[in-house]
Amino acid sequence: MQFKQMIIVAALLVSASAQAGESATTIKADSLKAKPFSDAKVIASLPVATRVEILKKEGGWYQVKSPQGSGWVRMLSLRRGEARTGSSGSELTGLASLASGRAGTGKVVATTGIRGLNEEELRAAQFDEKQVALAESYTTTRAEAQKFAASARLTPVQMNYLPEPGGSSK
Amino acid sequence: MNHLILKSLILAGLCLPAAQAFDLGQELRNAARDLKKPGAASSLGGYSETEEVAIGRQIAGNLLGASPLVPDKKLQKYVNNVGRWVASQSERADLEWHFGVIESNDINAFAAPGGYIFMTRGLYKQLKDESELAGVLAHEIAHVIKKHHLKILQQSRMVDLGGKLLGKQAGGNDNIRNLIGSGAEIVSRSLDKGAEFEADRTGIVLAARAGYNAYGLPGVLQQIGHSSADDSSVALLFKTHPHPDERLAKLDDAMDSRFDGTGGKTLAQRLYKIR
Repeated sequence: MQFKQMIIVAALLVSASAQAGESATTIKADSLKAKPFSDAKVIASLPVATRVEILKKEGGWYQVKSPQGSGWVRMLSLRRGEARTGSSGSELTGLASLASGRAGTGKVVATTGIRGLNEEELRAAQFDEKQVALAESYTTTRAEAQKFAASARLTPVQMNYLPEPGGSSK
Repeated sequence: MNHLILKSLILAGLCLPAAQAFDLGQELRNAARDLKKPGAASSLGGYSETEEVAIGRQIAGNLLGASPLVPDKKLQKYVNNVGRWVASQSERADLEWHFGVIESNDINAFAAPGGYIFMTRGLYKQLKDESELAGVLAHEIAHVIKKHHLKILQQSRMVDLGGKLLGKQAGGNDNIRNLIGSGAEIVSRSLDKGAEFEADRTGIVLAARAGYNAYGLPGVLQQIGHSSADDSSVALLFKTHPHPDERLAKLDDAMDSRFDGTGGKTLAQRLYKIR
């Protein structure tokens, strides 16, 4: 049990570090909170265009280090990935490039056997019956999906669709 | 209100060249006939569900002709499990949904009518947890339930397909091929921005209804927005969608603080590691 917990903690640390150290900028004024909840205590207010360092992500919140102190800020108040200079900056660029399969120069790394998907290729595409049949063979039934969800304790939540912002229904 | 619509239809008819005006009339007759068929869609000139699936299957087959499935059964099964669970929270829960990851380093995802949904290996590799996968699939599911691509087909091809649409032939169906144009070009056509924002808003809710943290899709959009626009792996995505920053700003407006309290799971541990 303890060993299992250790693995989970280690995995969490790894996933957290994937974004840690990355810089971001506030795209609107928002408050820095003590905890990742909207009704948590306000530590400071961050004006628009404040540069912060991302420490951790949790749901719709980022834990950040800002000139006004450390705390939590809404994910949607930030824009990630400001260009950075210096040795640590280039390291980060390298990591991000690895994840998206491209080199820091903006040029695509040639990967053998894997094609791109541009409009020309899509237009020229020929119907592949075998592949569609294969895709259909992987189909999950509603009951199977229910079981899959239950195995991770995913439970349905009742919720209405969101109105269009500024629309008549708001 | 109805009177107003009728008036504008007549006006539109007057402004159109004779040939197109004739087609509009034909389309209205088709719509009237379709409405009498069992399982017919209720919208003007709507296709029945059987027709919709046949159209989607042709598009899916063409797309797979350009980029086949990643040969990893566990991955494909996993994506179908997540996708079907999210789709089960929609008003088309009983549609036979199909999901797949295709071989391409591009970052993109595609929806075809009738419940055929694909994402690229390149996009899958960007994902950090299951809630992000659910968010991406939910956006595509929203395109299907709102029939965004089907509406494009109806607008661009006002032709009488009638009963001819469903004559099944090996290697695809000629009538459907005529309708969708060449290959899988339809998936690279832009929807209007409003349709993309609607799919984002709808997708957020579908993922949250499924028990996931609602910020999966925004998380992926932030990651993609981070890529430069001249990067060829996102070229098609950026050409056919509003910029992620614009989508995030719209989502911020729409979500407001509604999702702060909903929690939901991210399930980083369960995300299948692609080889």
